[in-house]
Amino acid sequence: MSESRITLQLDARDGEAADRGYQPGETLAGRHQVELARADDFRAVELSVLWYTVGQGEEDFGVHFFERHARYDQTLFEVGRTHSFSIPLPNSPLSYQGVLVNVQWCVRVRLFLPRGREMVEEVPFQLADIPSTASVDS
Amino acid sequence: MSWRFRPYGKKRGRRRTGSRQVGRLGEAFLSLLFLAGGSIALYQMLFSLILPEWRASRHLVEQSCHVIGGRVLTERSEDEAFVRYRVELQMRFQIDGQTYEPWGYEIKINRVYFDTAEEAQQIVDRFPADTERTYTCWIDPNNPEVAVLVRRGRWWLWLLLLLPGSFVVIGGGGVIYTLLHSSTSAERRAALAKKAADLDLFEETPAGSSAYPHIPSSTQVTDSPGTELAYRLPINASRGWRLFGILLLVVFWNGFSWAALIVALNVDAGEDRVWLLVGIAPFVLIGLGILVMFVRQWMLVTGVGATRIEVSAHPLFPGSTYSLFLSQTGRLHVHSLEVLLMCEEEAIYEQGTDIRIATESVYQESIYRRQGFDVLPGVPFEDRFTVSIPPQAMHSFKSPHNEVRWSLLVRGDVARWPDYERSFPIVVYPLGGGSPTNDPARSRGDSP
Repeated sequence: MSESRITLQLDARDGEAADRGYQPGETLAGRHQVELARADDFRAVELSVLWYTVGQGEEDFGVHFFERHARYDQTLFEVGRTHSFSIPLPNSPLSYQGVLVNVQWCVRVRLFLPRGREMVEEVPFQLADIPSTASVDS
Repeated sequence: MSWRFRPYGKKRGRRRTGSRQVGRLGEAFLSLLFLAGGSIALYQMLFSLILPEWRASRHLVEQSCHVIGGRVLTERSEDEAFVRYRVELQMRFQIDGQTYEPWGYEIKINRVYFDTAEEAQQIVDRFPADTERTYTCWIDPNNPEVAVLVRRGRWWLWLLLLLPGSFVVIGGGGVIYTLLHSSTSAERRAALAKKAADLDLFEETPAGSSAYPHIPSSTQVTDSPGTELAYRLPINASRGWRLFGILLLVVFWNGFSWAALIVALNVDAGEDRVWLLVGIAPFVLIGLGILVMFVRQWMLVTGVGATRIEVSAHPLFPGSTYSLFLSQTGRLHVHSLEVLLMCEEEAIYEQGTDIRIATESVYQESIYRRQGFDVLPGVPFEDRFTVSIPPQAMHSFKSPHNEVRWSLLVRGDVARWPDYERSFPIVVYPLGGGSPTNDPARSRGDSP
């Protein structure tokens, strides 16, 4: 293999439109796979489900789910194998497209390589279906 | 996928932020500078001054002695430009039948020097040679030839360590912070912080907050029961703080400008007095303007009378309708009184070294309006109406730099008074988290 690669995807939901948001309490299911250029490149891999703000304000973020597999600890992580995850989603904060404030959800896989290098792959998703808002002229 | 070092910030909304990596490097450099400087100063003070003095004084043992002589010694600098004087006394004492007669006065490390020989001689004169008179001296038990008559402990020297110590703490803390941030991902740090917060047994977390993360607590509302409906809404306190801020400005601005005016009137400046007064006049006029603004605001707060809103249930949920009770006291002829359901976004961001706050109204609906009526003293105006939260409304949201907040805004147009506005924050929860009808907070809504 010429280079390291992360594959991350969410499972399709039966009978649901692809663009429909997940509902609070619904389970977010998907798979991820880490492939390495060299087998000993692997230091650690982290899977997280998080929200972050985008907009005029400083970025805030919160982690709903976090899982770390390091090479030298006891956690089992098989490089090259597809790993499934299934995570119940919280009640809040919901995805939101505002004027100054936007809340975005994503599932993120971060791969730690030798010499401080990192690779990140993320897949955004919607939590609930709140329509975008616009500014109100007072 | 990306692993490149990002020298510039990324585009965020309408602006571009600074690079976090460059910022972190700067922080690390500054922390290292503090740590290195503090450590060197701490080492020097501790090992060159404080510890030798402490060890020396702790090492010596008490011994009875007689003073049998005294002298003033002169010390010159190498170029003989500088001369100073010190005291030495000769002591006599016996240990195990052997007599010792060493010279000394005080521990070398905290030896006192005098500018003149006369000053040093005064000390010698205080200890006249007298074999009948007994003093307490301090000797080195391993070498009785080393003895002093004065053992001075300068406890305050330890306080000096606070200065380099604080540099070490600040610098060391900064280095640890930087190391933690560079060796762990932001997600991992956030997950650890969340775990730590969940373990905090002493933190008062409002009920339901763990089920609805990042939604402000509604306990401030539910702690205050209403007289007509379930809860009395608290009024937004920010206007009170604004009034206090204006008061401070009034006091300081007028204090300085009027003091300057009085000085200008009394000083003997001849023909220049006119120009002095012309220069000060704008400041006095601005001060009067601020005073008028403060009085106007103060009269609005105190003269219009109290506004009260009560709600049938709290927190509120999208798609539900709730009863409201409005009460307005005072002595007023009201042209119009309106209540609006409002939703605002607030973003806090840094611009240069300033911290700025941007606010934008994203939802505004008039839910009540009454025109042309009088409010009499002792007979408050009271009315009931309802508010419906839009079915697809965003819930209240609060994070360190971003906020979505809902409120009820009372807007009054009153005869002989400026228009006034009073805001009452409410908390809107999202739908979900189980059946709404099973939610005890929702069960009080009028039409779930």
